Amino acid sequence: MAVHTDVRSTRTGREERRQRAVEALGLTENVREERFDRITRLARALFDVDASTVTVLDRDRAIYPGAAGYDGTPLPRQETLCDRATSEESLLVVPDATQDPRFDSLDIVTSGVISFYVGAPLRDGAGNVVGVLCAFDSAAKMPSPTQLKAFEDLAVWAQQELVGHAERRGARQVQTSLLPDRPLELDGWDVAGLCLPALAVGGDFYDYGVSHGVLHLGLGDVMGKGTGAALLGAGVRAAIRATHQEVVAGGDLGRSATRVARGLGADLERSGSFATVFEAAVDLCDGTVRSVDAGLGLVLVVRADGSCERQVGRGRPFGVLPDDTWEQQTFHLEPGDRLVVFSDGLLDLVDDQLRWWEPVGAMVGEAADTASLLAHVSALAAAHTALDDVTVLVVHRHAGAQGAA
Amino acid sequence: MMELDVRTDERGVGVVVPRGRLNMVSARSLRDALDTLVNDGTHRIVVDLAETTFMDSSGLGALIAGLKTARQAGGDLRIARPTPAVTTVFELTNLDKVLRPRESAEAAFDD
Repeated sequence: MAVHTDVRSTRTGREERRQRAVEALGLTENVREERFDRITRLARALFDVDASTVTVLDRDRAIYPGAAGYDGTPLPRQETLCDRATSEESLLVVPDATQDPRFDSLDIVTSGVISFYVGAPLRDGAGNVVGVLCAFDSAAKMPSPTQLKAFEDLAVWAQQELVGHAERRGARQVQTSLLPDRPLELDGWDVAGLCLPALAVGGDFYDYGVSHGVLHLGLGDVMGKGTGAALLGAGVRAAIRATHQEVVAGGDLGRSATRVARGLGADLERSGSFATVFEAAVDLCDGTVRSVDAGLGLVLVVRADGSCERQVGRGRPFGVLPDDTWEQQTFHLEPGDRLVVFSDGLLDLVDDQLRWWEPVGAMVGEAADTASLLAHVSALAAAHTALDDVTVLVVHRHAGAQGAA
Repeated sequence: MMELDVRTDERGVGVVVPRGRLNMVSARSLRDALDTLVNDGTHRIVVDLAETTFMDSSGLGALIAGLKTARQAGGDLRIARPTPAVTTVFELTNLDKVLRPRESAEAAFDD
């Protein structure tokens, strides 16, 4: 019976692909989410039925990222009508399951929970069925063509949520992994940062590292926000990182920034974007800071006595003028001083944007340490619903410390 | 929300007036308006920012893109009467020399 074997192996292959697609989208955690619940509430109201769910089949169980009128407890897959809707790969309409030989022996039907059932498959980008939007009722029903059309529209929405969410979460994880994974605790210094994208990913980044007694740090902000900005931001970060060796060895930051800008020029030009960047090399022995500011401008030194000094940069952003050049500037961090660099997303969150250094300086002055300063910014961004990416980088030279010398 | 007025004055200078917040959403329409002006042969453009209450990096990006397009066509883009909030953005990015604020839309091309 070669024909049967073929059919079965095709089915097995399809189920394996389907399961892999479900896992690839990270849908195997049984986590309820409001954005799916919302769609099921609409589907439930559309048919005026007992319940609606967004169902995902994970191996031998059915799990429910979204549900209305059902508590979302996972069920054995074989017990569900969604299992059939998944394998049918098309809209399944069952007006009365108790009279349908395909389903009349299922527990969920014989127990009277489901008579009416409608289920629409939800596919990933490659066409694999990764979930089902369904609605059901204990009474038999014949849905109208208008209801079914609206239901299919809801299914498209659920499908976009299911697939898009996984992409966004994956992108965010990658972007997070491009940031330093922990604060630096050095002899007499600490360094930490925070990056809060307004969307899943953003065009802001910060970076730091130490070698040969020199701290190399950078903060960048690519125009706009979201995925486009994030793609360019990753490129800017990598280009600056490539200068690390030469910068810690004492190379001029103006020259390396000019070279980085030349390298990025075509990318920024073609995408109609630009990037503001601040980069610095801090000598951990004597506190000398060599820096270059490419249009970021949001750099503040809060001295041990609480006074604030803006480090006014002279450079323009990368990607504005093709033949632009950048110059290195120098200043000092004494014991007790803090250097704070941030993106313009933070400006949005302070009261006086025209004299931003006053509220930001006060915020720094009031913070007992770097961690509490970053926690404060985090809370501020959450409270105000930041519209732009918010990124902050803090370098603290401890009071009384003479550095590593 | 942003409104955008576009006109061409008697000297053939395009005058664009964005009203409200110039952010990622509204920057798109400013960019399109500037492109359309240049494509239709208006290579000298003034963006009057007197009623622009807020500008983010995308808004600035739209102005820079317009500046590049206008210059490539042999013209120029100038800005007039920026509000304090918008001036801050030009100052922070050191673009106040590249896009020097003019006192009025009418006088923007006097030099």
